[in-house]
Amino acid sequence: VQVEEEVKRNKYQNARRVLNSAETQNLPGREQQLQELRDFFTSHLEKQSSGSLYVSGQPGTGKTACLSLLLRDTELSKRLQRVYINCTSIASVGAVYKKLCTELHLKPTGRTERDHLEAIQRHLRTAKRMLLLVLDEIDQLSTARQAVLYTIFEWPALPGARILLVGIANSLDLTDRTLTRLNARCELKPRLMHFPPYTKQQIVDIFKSRLAEADLLDVFPPVTLQLLAAKVSAISGDVRRALDIGRRVVEIAEQQKRDGEKEFNMKALNLDAEQQQQTEDILKPVQVTQVAAVLNKVYGASQNLEEDIEAAFPLQQKLMLCSLVLMLRNERNKDISMGRLHEVYRRVCSKRNILALDQAEFAGTVDLVETRGIIRIMRKKEPRLHKVLLQWDEGEVHAALSDKQLIASILNDTACLGK
Amino acid sequence: SRLAEGTPRRSIQLSNIVEQRVFQDDEIISTPKRARSKKTTTAEEDKEYTPKKTPTRSRRLSTASAAAPATPTPLTPSQKLKKIRAGEISPTMEQRKTDTANPDKGRKSQLQLAREQLHVSVVPQSLPCREKEFDNIYNFLEGKIQDQCGGCMYVSGVPGTGKTATVSGVIRTLQGMTRQRKLPEFEFLEINGMRLTEPRQAYVQIYKQLTGKTVSWEQAHTLLEKRFTTPAPRRITTVLLVDELDILCNRRQDVVYNLLDWPTKSAARLVVITIANTMDLPERLLMGKVTSRLGLTRLTFQPYTHKQLQEIVSARLGLAGSEAFKGEAVQLVARKVAAVSGDARRALDICRRATEIAKDCVTMLHVQQALAEMIASAKVQAIKNCSRLEQIFLQAVAAEVTRTGVEETTFMGVYQQLETIAAIMGVSTLPPPGRALRLCSKLGAERLLISEPSRHDLYQKILLNVSTDDIHYALRVEQPMTTT
Repeated sequence: VQVEEEVKRNKYQNARRVLNSAETQNLPGREQQLQELRDFFTSHLEKQSSGSLYVSGQPGTGKTACLSLLLRDTELSKRLQRVYINCTSIASVGAVYKKLCTELHLKPTGRTERDHLEAIQRHLRTAKRMLLLVLDEIDQLSTARQAVLYTIFEWPALPGARILLVGIANSLDLTDRTLTRLNARCELKPRLMHFPPYTKQQIVDIFKSRLAEADLLDVFPPVTLQLLAAKVSAISGDVRRALDIGRRVVEIAEQQKRDGEKEFNMKALNLDAEQQQQTEDILKPVQVTQVAAVLNKVYGASQNLEEDIEAAFPLQQKLMLCSLVLMLRNERNKDISMGRLHEVYRRVCSKRNILALDQAEFAGTVDLVETRGIIRIMRKKEPRLHKVLLQWDEGEVHAALSDKQLIASILNDTACLGK
Repeated sequence: SRLAEGTPRRSIQLSNIVEQRVFQDDEIISTPKRARSKKTTTAEEDKEYTPKKTPTRSRRLSTASAAAPATPTPLTPSQKLKKIRAGEISPTMEQRKTDTANPDKGRKSQLQLAREQLHVSVVPQSLPCREKEFDNIYNFLEGKIQDQCGGCMYVSGVPGTGKTATVSGVIRTLQGMTRQRKLPEFEFLEINGMRLTEPRQAYVQIYKQLTGKTVSWEQAHTLLEKRFTTPAPRRITTVLLVDELDILCNRRQDVVYNLLDWPTKSAARLVVITIANTMDLPERLLMGKVTSRLGLTRLTFQPYTHKQLQEIVSARLGLAGSEAFKGEAVQLVARKVAAVSGDARRALDICRRATEIAKDCVTMLHVQQALAEMIASAKVQAIKNCSRLEQIFLQAVAAEVTRTGVEETTFMGVYQQLETIAAIMGVSTLPPPGRALRLCSKLGAERLLISEPSRHDLYQKILLNVSTDDIHYALRVEQPMTTT
């Protein structure tokens, strides 16, 4: 069923769709890595020798995207058999052999793990074509003994085997740290390849190529792109985040435009339809202020107590937090248990003529504050013995708290400590 | 041969099969197998289409009248289990024999009506005071459905701030839009982490909502993976609501990873909305790669303020409520609850309790009584009702704490204090330590003390579980009464 609104999609909506974080065909900013991978594959194909490769990098730096692009490559597909396994999708660490068997359409003799492994090794010795095995999120396969990982990384050294093994994970030194025995034999040691976080220019290029695909470059002026890319590359260099923020900016711009239109329509109800059509077509590029607003919201940390404390922060939770800060400020022992905090809180409450909560209720209140990430509770055997730890920067909490009158008075009230 | 083939090979956990749903009374128990096709006519047939219904059920309802079995032969247990797992038998609840639910409204007083309206399960059509959040989620979902691509959103907030109600309200509105053909069709699935015995059972539940069949989690996972990774020409968008996300996180985090990785596949067209309490759950608990996939589209539900709580309760009461409930009574409830947690459920529960206490109209006094019951501190009462020796024992523990300055006391020290206090009070027969140990373990069972097992006897450690002020307060207030 074709829906009517499908027809008149505006540029914002198109931009939103283009900036999705799904798979793509071209990967700007990863030319060098792609070339290196391609060289690795072709050189081993020409020599008909096995080889292993370990690809590492932070999340969102395009490791899987590069390899799935190469897996779709028609030229390579003629010359080798390709298998892609995501290691999070297997039931247990040992079940990876079974998965590989089904991917290779092998018929193992039995149902045990060992049978599957034997079937794979038989296949590797006698296979007609070279095998490219990509194991994504390979850190999921690590166990205490690392039996599976060692077995897999020993396949390239198997006599007669022609396998290209690629492992993908986040940590830089997974092979050195967990597979130390591979260092003993140079032919077993996988070649390492690191995907560095995207730089500012690379993120700008990614955005430009995405937007140019759909001819939407005018939605994002260069200044806004520079700002966005500078911030994201400085913090994580994760392109998923960059695209996320880009999408968010467009969504907010669209929302603001829609609100603006509503007002406009209210003002000029008697304008004829033609004129209205024109106004709709005018597209405003996103503003620097909009990008900055989204960035501040996302990266502005969770420390926005200032506005919290005024509006939607229940009074008893405020009192609890104040008591905690009071104790942390004046006592040398920062080891605060729930029981001790409750005693001080009760004194604070009775001094201010506020009905104090009892211990069971208080424990619930502390739990609620924990969900905001302001404090953390270290669980002990008894609720009274739980340890309360302030998670935010103490100075910042002080600054935010001491502005308000009630709170300031509590923070100076050392008599409540009961010493 | 039928018996031989019907034996189930693996033991099946009933807890995973039986879903917790309320069913209508006109449902037919067994129905023939139906082809997997999504007809738009079924959606039009039942106008009150609720999002909770699985697609299979609505289809089943439409085919039920066509072929009801003429002579239902009794099934062997394995046959029955097979049918349950294939989704051919829908679970039914036993109906009440005598019709006690009387529908006439005339007999119900204003108070009873108010009480029914105040029940937490009566979710209003539009949630008051959550318009901004509603718009936010609505715009996100509408955009995703129109763009026909996948995505994730993370919704957080303390319990009782209307997260799930808002999201399902948005879904209801969107489903209304699809019926009016203003929006492309979409499928809605929901799972709740708390309803699963194990994180991986999520696959089973999702697959069950898609097809109605119950399969093992491995199989369900494989089938779902196939569904979401291979492109299909007429795939419609799927919206998956994951409630209680933190329960689904285990050490490997494979379930959360998969649930959040599927939307990144262009073939899936899956939109995942995750709900949890903790604001910083992605940073605190999830792995870096999972957080990266969860994205930065987040929404936090702030606790309700007293004004909002007041509005919620008055919206529930409607016009009828004005007679049954005094305005200032509502205000008191709202203020008290907003000061502690801002939990709407709590406010509604206290109001309900107040209607139970009141006879015809709820006033401030009734509310105060309900508040005292529900935000009660029973500890002082418990100390007052202890036996004389137990009270002296508690005093002795408190005295030992003040003497040593350390919270943790040993039984020996406490017993010495006990002897002193008893001598001062002139209690002639002090119980021997064996008897005192029994007192101690009784107080420990009541959780007035935290004590070790009695086998450590003299060296067992004792901690006070109430504050020393509570003990003094309870005993001092009472003493004049005993002396007079």
